[in-house]
Formats: sequence, structure tokens, C-alpha cells
Amino acid sequence: MPVGIVHRDAAAAAFFDGAARGELLVRRCASCGGFSAPQARACAHCGTPEQEWAPSAGAGTVITWAVVHGRPADGEAAPRTVVAVVELDEGPWLQAQLTGVAPEEVSAGLRVRAGFEHPEGGEAVPVFHPA
Amino acid sequence: MNRAPVIAGLGITELGKVYGRSAPEFAAEAVRLAAADAGLDLAEVDGLLTNTGLSRDVGLGLQRDLGLRDLRLLSEVQAYGSSAGAMVQYASMAVSCGMADAVACVFADAPLKERSPGGSAYASAGRAPKGWQGLAAASGISSATTMYALAARRHMTTYGTTSEQFGAIAVAQRAWAARNPLAQLREPITLADHQASRWITEPFHLLDCCLVSNGGVAVIVTSADRAVHLRQPPVHVLGWGQAHPGHVMGRGSEFGLVSGAAISGPAALKMAGVTLSDVGVAELYDCYTYTVLVSLEDYGFCAKGEGGDFVTSGVLGPEGSLAVNTGGGQLSSYYMWGMTPLSEAVVQARGQGGDRQAARNDVVLVSGNGGVLDHHSTLVLSPHAR
Repeated sequence: MPVGIVHRDAAAAAFFDGAARGELLVRRCASCGGFSAPQARACAHCGTPEQEWAPSAGAGTVITWAVVHGRPADGEAAPRTVVAVVELDEGPWLQAQLTGVAPEEVSAGLRVRAGFEHPEGGEAVPVFHPA
Repeated sequence: MNRAPVIAGLGITELGKVYGRSAPEFAAEAVRLAAADAGLDLAEVDGLLTNTGLSRDVGLGLQRDLGLRDLRLLSEVQAYGSSAGAMVQYASMAVSCGMADAVACVFADAPLKERSPGGSAYASAGRAPKGWQGLAAASGISSATTMYALAARRHMTTYGTTSEQFGAIAVAQRAWAARNPLAQLREPITLADHQASRWITEPFHLLDCCLVSNGGVAVIVTSADRAVHLRQPPVHVLGWGQAHPGHVMGRGSEFGLVSGAAISGPAALKMAGVTLSDVGVAELYDCYTYTVLVSLEDYGFCAKGEGGDFVTSGVLGPEGSLAVNTGGGQLSSYYMWGMTPLSEAVVQARGQGGDRQAARNDVVLVSGNGGVLDHHSTLVLSPHAR
């Protein structure tokens, strides 16, 4: 399944600017330097609200995954989408689609790398594929 | 004066595919039924706590809908699936300290629409198209089912839990539901039926997932002294606890492995002055089969990671040694968020379970689970005062 359409809001604007230029941005704490997920409003490690945007190297590991089954069209198999929780090497978890891998071949611990899809009419969406 | 809290009334409306009525209408009817069940005039209700579901329209206006005057307690409560337990806790505290004498706690929802599949009611609910929520939806994570599937898969890969073990829970609960006249699904199922049911989101088959229901359920909390003069055998609220883990989604997170039951369970049992071995009936929130399994572990009925072996050891079902989800639960009876386990717990504690009455009902444990393992409430109920 291709990714869907998402539009920006103020909180996610910088993240989508990064995605448009191929950068996966996460939050880095201005106080302790720890990394948090992009949507974190405070540092996951020390609670400090002041955080900067910092690019992730884009490498990570599958923590867990699920296979979403769509509704089958007439005579066709139901479309399947693999979604996963990925732990970036910097520490934060992202929830994203896995591409370029059959559902049967996904396992916990699978090494993955971030990429971006650019659906018409929406923001760039990060996805992960086997490294 | 014994102001110890008891549940004295239970009201359950028609449940399931019931169309043409709004959630506020279900809520009002449930409160009226609960008051009548207790043997109270509606005007004697002096506290009201409401919990709205997806319809988001059950709230403070319920006072006017019921014509209640001069309430001494009125609030909306929202902690998702843990709300029913939480409402009973707040009502119990209000009654114990004399703030109110008879508090109605109600949940109602009407997410099912005619000619629309039940799953769609929850799939699109509350999803903003923009920002972070929009990003999740665009990535294919558009429902609680997906998040619970991610949680369940983590449990499976970490501890070796299998789909067949989840299936044992579904089969056992359906066997209980066959004995519950209120249950929406009463036809027995086998493990093969579970395995053959269509995938919703792997690792969940259809028969791993709860129902979607329209309707309302209410309980009345009052004092032990007051309950002596009322219609029903009192159900004493002996202990309670909450837990809101605040999982950080990052390295080291226990997401999927541990629920708030690990904290709220021991707290509630301690307050009640009982131990886990005293529990004869456990009514556990079961939005998915997995939720039952992880809750059994976290309460300590088995060791962490051994839930899969535990649920296939013959402990579950009407012939099992532990009475778990005796009404069929959300999987097979009706989905009224935390009111599903709470309502069945009241029935069991009163000894009114009929064909499904558990023999050992001295201590009944009630588990409420909200969000994606984000919010948890536990109640310890008993037909006996402390």
C-alpha cells in the first residue's frame, strides 16, 4: 500500500521541511543532548522542554511490526501493509511503514534504513526498508 | 456510621446493534435502570460521573436529561478503558468522606451506524488529517487495533507467545458467553475457527478483536449503611488502584511487554487486605485476546512471559480453575469499555450469574485498560464487608 496524504501543522512543519529535503529529523535536548522522538514536547531523558531539531543518521532496528489487511476488491487479494516500530540508532522510536520487504520476511531485530515517499498533494512521509 | 463504599445498583440497556438512539439517551436509560435496580428514587441520586465513548456527547448535560436537582458531585471522567473503574474509585471516595450519598457512574456510546461495518466506527475515529496523527495515519497506523497488534507482536517475539495461545482465550470466553443471555455472540467456537477467521491486522485474527456495541451501562455507588436498606445484595468496593505508565517510545521501553496492571493490581489488593490467591473471579479488560494474556501476567496469576502457557493449561473457561471473563467479555458479550468487566463483576459478586455463576466469588478483581496500555484501573470487589 502506498503511504497516504498528510498535511503539516505548526508542530510538525520543521519535520516535514526536513523530510522534503531527505532528512529524518528528531529532537535533541538543549540541556542533556539526549535524543527524543520528533513529536516529543519535552526531552524523554531529562524532561527539559527546550529541544532542537537534529538529523538522524536514518539507521535503525525493527522492534515490532504488524501487517494491516485492507478490504479486498472483487476477486483480488486484500492489500497488505507492513507497519513497524523502528528504534533509531540514536534511541527514539518511530512508527512507520516498511517497504521493500515481504510481510513473511520481517523479524524483530531487522536492520532498516529510512527513505521518503513523496505522494502527490501531501508532505513527504518517512518509510523504512531493509538496510 | 459505616460509610464504606458499595455498589448497590446496576443498569444495562439493550446492547449491540441497537439503532435509532443516541448515546445520551442510552446513558439516561442506564442511570434510570441502575437506580431502579438499587431500589432508589432517581431523585435520591446526588452524584453523577459520566464517561463518554466515541460519540463524545455524553457529559454534564446528562444531569438535565435526567432532571437531577442539587447534585453534590458532577463531572466527566476520561481515562478511556480505565474510566469505569476510575469512576467507581472517585465515587467511592466521595461516598466515604460524606461528599455524596448515591453516585451514579455511567458509560454510553453509539458508534455503530446501520449499514456500516463495525470496524469502521473505530478505524476513523478521532484521526486528524494533519501533523503527527496525520503522519501515523498516512503511514498505515490508523486504529487502536494496529497499535495493539504492534504490542502483541512484541510480546510474541520476546516471550514466544503464539496466535494459538491467544486463540485459547477467545475459545474460553465464547464458552462463557454461551451461558450469558446478554452476550451478542453465543455460538461456541474452536481453536480452528479462531485460526481460520480472517486477518484484521496480523497477529490479530477477527476472533482476537472485541465487538463494537451501542448501549449504556451504569452503576450506583453508595455507603454500606445505606445499602442495607436497598434492594440488591451490596457489592463492597474493598480496594482500588490506578496506573498510568507514561511509556516513552524509545530505547528501553516496555511497550507491549507490561501493562499498568503490574502497579494498580498490587495497590488495589493491598488496600483491600487480600492477596492474589484470594481472587476467585477476574474480570479483565479484553479489547484483544492479547490484553487478557498480558493482564494475567501483570496481576501475577503467572510469571511474566508465561502467559501463553498459562492460558492453554486449562485454567480458563467454565471448567477452568480461575473464573476469567465469565460473561464472555468484550470479545463475545458486549463492548462497553470498562463497564463490560465491571458489570459482570457486579453480577458475579452478587451471586446472580445463573448458569455462569462462579463458585468462589468472595473476591472479584476488575481490570480496566485504556489507551494503548497507557491507563489502568483495578477494583477489588466482594459480597462481604472487610
